[in-house]
Amino acid sequence: MLFNSYPYIPFIVLSVLFYVVLEKKFPAARRPFLLLLSYFFYAWWRTDFLVLLVGSTAVNYLIGSALTARREQQRSTRAPLVLGLTFNLGLLCFFKYAAMLVGTFDLLAGSHLPIPAIFLPLAISFFTFEQISYLADAASGMAPRYTPLDYALFVAYFPHLIAGPIIRHNDLIPQFHAERDNEARASDIATGSTLFTIGLAKKTLIADNLAPYSDIVFSAAAHGAVGTSDAWLGALFFVFQVYFDFSAYSDMALGSSLLFGIRLPLNFNSPYKAASIVEFWRRWHVTLQKFIFDYLYTPMAIMLARKSIALDLGRWSGFLFSGALPLLFVFMLIGLWHGAGWNFAVFGLMHGFYITINEAWRLWRKKKKSAPSPITHAAAVALTFFAVVISDVVFRAGTLPAVLSIYTGMLGLNHAANLITFSYLAVAALVTLALLTWAAPNSMEITWRMRPALEPAANAIPVRDIGRCAWVPSRQSAVLFGLVCIAALLALSNLSPFIYFQF
Amino acid sequence: MGAKTYLIWFLATVTGAVIAIAGFNAWADRYILTHPAGPSFQTVSGFERVLKPAWLDSIKPDAVFIGTSDIRQGFDPVLINRTYNVHAFNYGFSSVTAYETRRMVQDAAAQPQVRNIFVSANSFAGGSIAQPTTGGFDELRLSVTPDGTPTPRRPLWLFTTRYLSGGATGMHATGLYMLARLKRNETAKDRPDIFSAYSHMTKASFARDMERRAGRSYSLSDWQREQLRGALDAVCSKPIHLYLFFPPEHFAVVDRYFANDAEGLINFKLAVLADVRAHNQTCRGKASLFDFMTLDNITGEKPDSSGVYPDYIDLVHFTPRIGTVLTGIMLGTSGLASDADLTGDPFAESRIGQMIQEDKVWRSEKR
Repeated sequence: MLFNSYPYIPFIVLSVLFYVVLEKKFPAARRPFLLLLSYFFYAWWRTDFLVLLVGSTAVNYLIGSALTARREQQRSTRAPLVLGLTFNLGLLCFFKYAAMLVGTFDLLAGSHLPIPAIFLPLAISFFTFEQISYLADAASGMAPRYTPLDYALFVAYFPHLIAGPIIRHNDLIPQFHAERDNEARASDIATGSTLFTIGLAKKTLIADNLAPYSDIVFSAAAHGAVGTSDAWLGALFFVFQVYFDFSAYSDMALGSSLLFGIRLPLNFNSPYKAASIVEFWRRWHVTLQKFIFDYLYTPMAIMLARKSIALDLGRWSGFLFSGALPLLFVFMLIGLWHGAGWNFAVFGLMHGFYITINEAWRLWRKKKKSAPSPITHAAAVALTFFAVVISDVVFRAGTLPAVLSIYTGMLGLNHAANLITFSYLAVAALVTLALLTWAAPNSMEITWRMRPALEPAANAIPVRDIGRCAWVPSRQSAVLFGLVCIAALLALSNLSPFIYFQF
Repeated sequence: MGAKTYLIWFLATVTGAVIAIAGFNAWADRYILTHPAGPSFQTVSGFERVLKPAWLDSIKPDAVFIGTSDIRQGFDPVLINRTYNVHAFNYGFSSVTAYETRRMVQDAAAQPQVRNIFVSANSFAGGSIAQPTTGGFDELRLSVTPDGTPTPRRPLWLFTTRYLSGGATGMHATGLYMLARLKRNETAKDRPDIFSAYSHMTKASFARDMERRAGRSYSLSDWQREQLRGALDAVCSKPIHLYLFFPPEHFAVVDRYFANDAEGLINFKLAVLADVRAHNQTCRGKASLFDFMTLDNITGEKPDSSGVYPDYIDLVHFTPRIGTVLTGIMLGTSGLASDADLTGDPFAESRIGQMIQEDKVWRSEKR
């Protein structure tokens, strides 16, 4: 079920009403109820893949329990951990990457192996990663024993199931048992509704209206040359589309969860306001970046740093060996996580390359600590945004000819008729989008007083306090958000899936 | 203010508005569908892509007219139902593409009561593989999948779109306003000021339109031809007759097509003919092809004494009177042209080729 669909509205309203009754009368029934809701939510899409979700949950629970037991008995956890990782990564490879791998093999070896037509199960990347984190924690003694119900609910809890945020078991499961009084419940539901409304409006009123324009250009690029203004407008509209699309999804996920009193982690914090690519990734899909860095980059970088010291590689060689190498590797994986295509790998490598340059710059200028001037800061934000636009072309265009068509179009090298008129309307749209992106407070800043998400980690970008602009419940704001909600609902027939649903 | 009070106000606003909008849409929808002139509203432009799939389901027509704006404006079900005793539905959209046309035919063919489908062949000349839908957004996606099958949970999508979408609300409001302005016993035909399908081209609008369509031509790409074949396939095993036709655009603009790409236009017609004939050799559900894009009394219309062209709204849009005449020819009930169907005519290719002579005649007469 999509958050931005008509069926979801009665689904969530009735679920919350029923949940509130259970909270008051039968608190023990809340978790089974949430689990049933979550399975219903997933099965609405395709019932047969519910078997995969339940099966994957069961296998990981059993392996996790074995890991915990071995850990308690002080026995080696290596074998069950390898088994668990093999199972999860094998599942992911089979469903998500088999066609890509066979296709690439055919291309390189000149063979004609049939490319398997495997349907990609919704959310497989998300529930696989979350379960890998659970197994890794269980192996290192950081995961307590959970009941099967708690664990199944952690995996399937519907507000985060489809497209994140990626959440760790110890952040979520304790919240299933927490109780709230009437005042907290009303506050949660009020804040959750408001956040959901903001997300729905961003999706249906902004992102979905940008999609046709970027679709036209990228579709044309896949079949030939595109003109200069088309290339720029298409790329910019896509960059804003994916921004509003993903932030909308994050708001709706956090808002939906808050209705049940459960806070998900902050996942999106105005990434285009970032003044460096490093900062960008601390604001964009925060939980994915954190997951990859916690479980992959950091252990790898530490291991390589030790080697580099042992080999006495020196400052810059050491940086390349223990900094750049793992960065490029993990960002290529981040790229591939987004989709089974080499364009995604290139997209990830581009970001890895950007970050490497960013880190090298920091290393080179390590003496300077003073805050940059507003002009320097604005230039840094613009440069970061430009780098994102360039990489997003690869992300969206898909094939090399299409990417080249857009790039050459941007450089004014194509002599093709434009599909989108660079009109006053287009300029007005871009100015409005820019104001919303860089000048307006984001949804987290608007609702932060009500704590709609888990507290960000100590090293994360904090949510800015916007003082009097922050949302406070009032009659006027209730009517205002009610009307925004109606406007967004009226646009729901333009139903289109979130971009991040394909991952 | 407490969160509880906020919630009450928020929910009251949303619930109140939803009830008001859904109530309005339900009432307006019923009003339009039961109004004697209601079917004439199907000739009106707006968010017709939102509403018409739902209406196709509930009107349950036996004859469906599919195509671009010339179909939308040129076939008024009120006239057609009265004249031929059928239950017609106008499934025409503005600026339709080949991809949309194919899916509309598939959608109509999936309706069990449909027996006749009329499609303008020029609808297959719209769109491209790079831009399959108008404006890049597929507004039919909630009713028909890309391969033309009904979407899963189609009744739910059609219901919510019909009663809760902004597009449907706008269309219902427009329909209500237009129909409410008709006086007792008035029909759409009596009010060209309200129903533009019944307005007429003037010398001034003729000149403007000639300028606007100066660069236009016809051709059929491989992709567009695939869509045409897909549409023909949709009726292959069904008890449905598919009537394809080249619409009677005014010959002044056809002359422009000749000037721009004569070969493209002739090849376009020949390709459609070949595909229809190939279809008829293998399929139970037959197809006919009619060429109304020839020089005759309709397409060669001259302005009357007041400078008005009675049968045209502009150069490519003909009036519903003409649409009704064409329907009679295609159904074979008019008695005017029993040999009009090109598919059974061994000289069809040369008849199509005669356009070149017709164009010469047109040019010499103009001179």
